[in-house]
Amino acid sequence: MSDYSLPNPGTIEAVVSDEPRGTLLETLHEWVITVDHKRLGILYILYSTFFLLVAGAEALFIRIQLAFPHNHFLSAQVYNRFFTMHGTTMVFLVGMPFLFGFGNYVVPLQIGARDMAFPRLNAFSFWLTAFGGLLLYYSFLGGGGLYGVGNAPDVGWFAYAPLTARSFSPGHATDYWALALIVSGFGTFGTAINIIATVVSMRCKGMTLMRMPLFTWLMLVVSMLTLVTITPLTAAQFMLLIDRYLGGHFFDTQAGGSSLIWIHFFWIFGHPEVYVLVLPAFAIANEIIPVFSRKAIFGYPAMVAASVGIMFVSLSVWAHHMFTVGMTSTSNAFFTLSTMLVGVPTGIKIFNWIATLWGGRIRFTTPMLFCIGFLFQFLIAGLTGIMLSVSPWDWQLHNSYFVIAHFHYVLVGAVVFCIFAALYFWYPKATGRLMNETLGKWHFWLFLIGFHITFDTMHFLGLLGMPRSIYTYQPDRGWNFLNLVVSLGGMVQGVAVLIFAYNFIASLFQGEIAGDDPWDAWTLEWTTSSPPPVYNFEEPPEVHSRRPLWDLKHPDDPDWEYEA
Amino acid sequence: MVNEQNLEQGNGELIEIPAGTAWPIILAFGAMLCFASLVTSIGVGLVGALLTGCGIVGWFKQVFPHEHHAFVPVVRRRFVPASSRRTVAHIQVSEVHRAYLPVESYPMVAGLRGGIAGGIVMIFPALLYGYLTQHSIWYAVNLLGGAGVAHWTNPSTADIAAFHWNGLIVATVIHAAVCSLIGLLYGAMLPMWPKRPILLGGLIAPLLWTGLLHSILGFVNPAFNARIAWGWFALSEILFGIVAGIVVTRTGKIRTHQALPFVLRMGIEAKEFNPPKGNQP
Ligand code: HEM
Ligand SMILES: [Cu+2]
Repeated sequence: MSDYSLPNPGTIEAVVSDEPRGTLLETLHEWVITVDHKRLGILYILYSTFFLLVAGAEALFIRIQLAFPHNHFLSAQVYNRFFTMHGTTMVFLVGMPFLFGFGNYVVPLQIGARDMAFPRLNAFSFWLTAFGGLLLYYSFLGGGGLYGVGNAPDVGWFAYAPLTARSFSPGHATDYWALALIVSGFGTFGTAINIIATVVSMRCKGMTLMRMPLFTWLMLVVSMLTLVTITPLTAAQFMLLIDRYLGGHFFDTQAGGSSLIWIHFFWIFGHPEVYVLVLPAFAIANEIIPVFSRKAIFGYPAMVAASVGIMFVSLSVWAHHMFTVGMTSTSNAFFTLSTMLVGVPTGIKIFNWIATLWGGRIRFTTPMLFCIGFLFQFLIAGLTGIMLSVSPWDWQLHNSYFVIAHFHYVLVGAVVFCIFAALYFWYPKATGRLMNETLGKWHFWLFLIGFHITFDTMHFLGLLGMPRSIYTYQPDRGWNFLNLVVSLGGMVQGVAVLIFAYNFIASLFQGEIAGDDPWDAWTLEWTTSSPPPVYNFEEPPEVHSRRPLWDLKHPDDPDWEYEA
Repeated sequence: MVNEQNLEQGNGELIEIPAGTAWPIILAFGAMLCFASLVTSIGVGLVGALLTGCGIVGWFKQVFPHEHHAFVPVVRRRFVPASSRRTVAHIQVSEVHRAYLPVESYPMVAGLRGGIAGGIVMIFPALLYGYLTQHSIWYAVNLLGGAGVAHWTNPSTADIAAFHWNGLIVATVIHAAVCSLIGLLYGAMLPMWPKRPILLGGLIAPLLWTGLLHSILGFVNPAFNARIAWGWFALSEILFGIVAGIVVTRTGKIRTHQALPFVLRMGIEAKEFNPPKGNQP
């Protein structure tokens, strides 16, 4: 693009807080007792960044084990623990806390509020989630049970019955899994309630629902969906514990229970959960794409409607994870159709993003690059999803690497890409300094290349019949070369993430000073100083359109003249 | 070009914010220990219960009878809005544009309404067909909804002629969904052929649809394919189309957006065409 330009950094020096710093202990104490939504948001984000590195390392161990046939890098038992911990961590300790972290940080600022509706509940929820994660990882030390069998959970992130029964999972590993998710689940619940209450009751003057930034809209939708979806999971975890310790038989087929019940409970949670993860990614793209295209988002009302539509439809598709358990043909038909239906609102969104880009003056900064990667990858992931929704096709490919490829395309290609975009985008607001763009570009390109080497290839492994969750394979299956490629791509992504981690820390000290509004953006958070003061806004702001800063910057041509 | 901020100590002005407190973290830690005690030891549980108790009481005192607050001195500053791009580019709208599409057409919902009406009327020839050939009104229903009768493999004709409630439900759902979707499609196609809705809906569309089904039904639903009577099928299709067409023609025409330039139809905002709306400060 001819007029590609970096954000203007501003010339003010006094941005990074110049208050006298307390001792390390004082600072630490302040963070531990904080009820400030910005600090809690940052805590959430640091916590998930840490676990992103941990679970990423686990993935690399998995890939080293699978790089060659008959490899002995990990034993079968350790392999099982690693993929279980990888999945559980990425969903519960990385994805959700990241997204709630951004929600916490950004939502009150965007709606012109001084804090969340329930600041103490906010702190409580974060710490519950954090301690839940610690409990999960403590299982590596404390989970050793009877006969020394098992320490960390090794039943897969979906923990199907009857594998979780005491006879098949002795020791406490599975209990740690269940308890940790119960504890962090309550935390999630608290934050979801908090976000809903905040959005409903704390919006500044003039901010009607249809003027709310789309990020805030989507966080509202996600929080509502979270309330509905965490409940069955928590219930199922309690049932599991009752089965294991109080002689219950919910999932014990031999005693009249049903292992199918678990699968239903899990996926009634599990499918909406994947939307809980991806909707915030949409939310992030909704903020970043317009700002760097220099255009208002295309089809705002349609975007809102599509998000709410996705929320409802995603509640009715869970059994597409169960086509192979032997449902009636009615159920197969129903869940095939309802799953395909998700494609409609999703398609609307993709078209709207493209229309926003179209004709815009695009600036290819790092956050924008990540969002463009997201658009492309999410499209493909949606298409493989539709393929899997056709039940006969799924009968062939269920539990194969094709499914693994599908969901990593979404969870990495869309969710992680957007998380990175958001980190680059809001980092200057939270720290007062910009992250380094050159390193950012290196991060983006390496990560993109690594991503495609790994996950494009995985589709073919799936089509060649490689099942998921196997710790090794025979050399004569024709999978050797592709597996090696997949593993190498994983390494490339690992390097990219290390570059990111370095950039993340180094920019804190050496980054360019950002100023209030480094990206020339339009929502209220950019009117505050960077970082914002504890009270966010000296005066409660008042807005007249969806892009209050646009109105301020272009008083001769404000948005409210166009908005309905 | 550049954001400036004017800092000045607001004259002793204070803003009230919720005071920081350690009770939430203590409560969270206690609660976690309580859960952890199930897999560790009773000691852990006791400590957990103690912390939980303290946490609850402490938190309670934090907000009752008076909520604790901290007061932060305000630093007055001014946000100076500045954009690196001063000029706003409006999309140039040319008056010369193609307008092959009709400037007047039926609204989209007319198609939907037509679809629903047609769907209702269409039920009668289908039932009649079942009654005349198999002496059962359920015959046609089960042909359509057979997928819903679980574990039905190679049903006999008598089977199909009998009443099955799940067959009825599935058939109703399929029929309702397909009729309204086809109605919608009809509505979407109307602007392409706005002059003769009955010809389009009543003859051409049913013929195309029957032809399409004729060629693919063997794959989609072999059992249905083996028994379908194409004559009756085409008849009910045509009836559907005619009814839908009539419903549509009785709806008034509306102006389409075609009189507007292309960019506007794409939903792009251009000042010349949008009268000011919304509330102004
Ligand atoms: C158009 C959208 C989508 C469709 C049609 C779709 C469809 C499917 C289907 C049919 C399966 C089951 C495959 C099987 O197990 O045999 C599946 C699995 C999965 N999908 Fe999607 N999907 C879509 C979007 C998403 C999104 C947005 C996410 C996450 C953000 C996601 C995450 C997953 C996960 C995690 C699994 C597998 C879980 C497991 O078995 O461990 N999908 N998807
Ligand atoms: Cu799903």
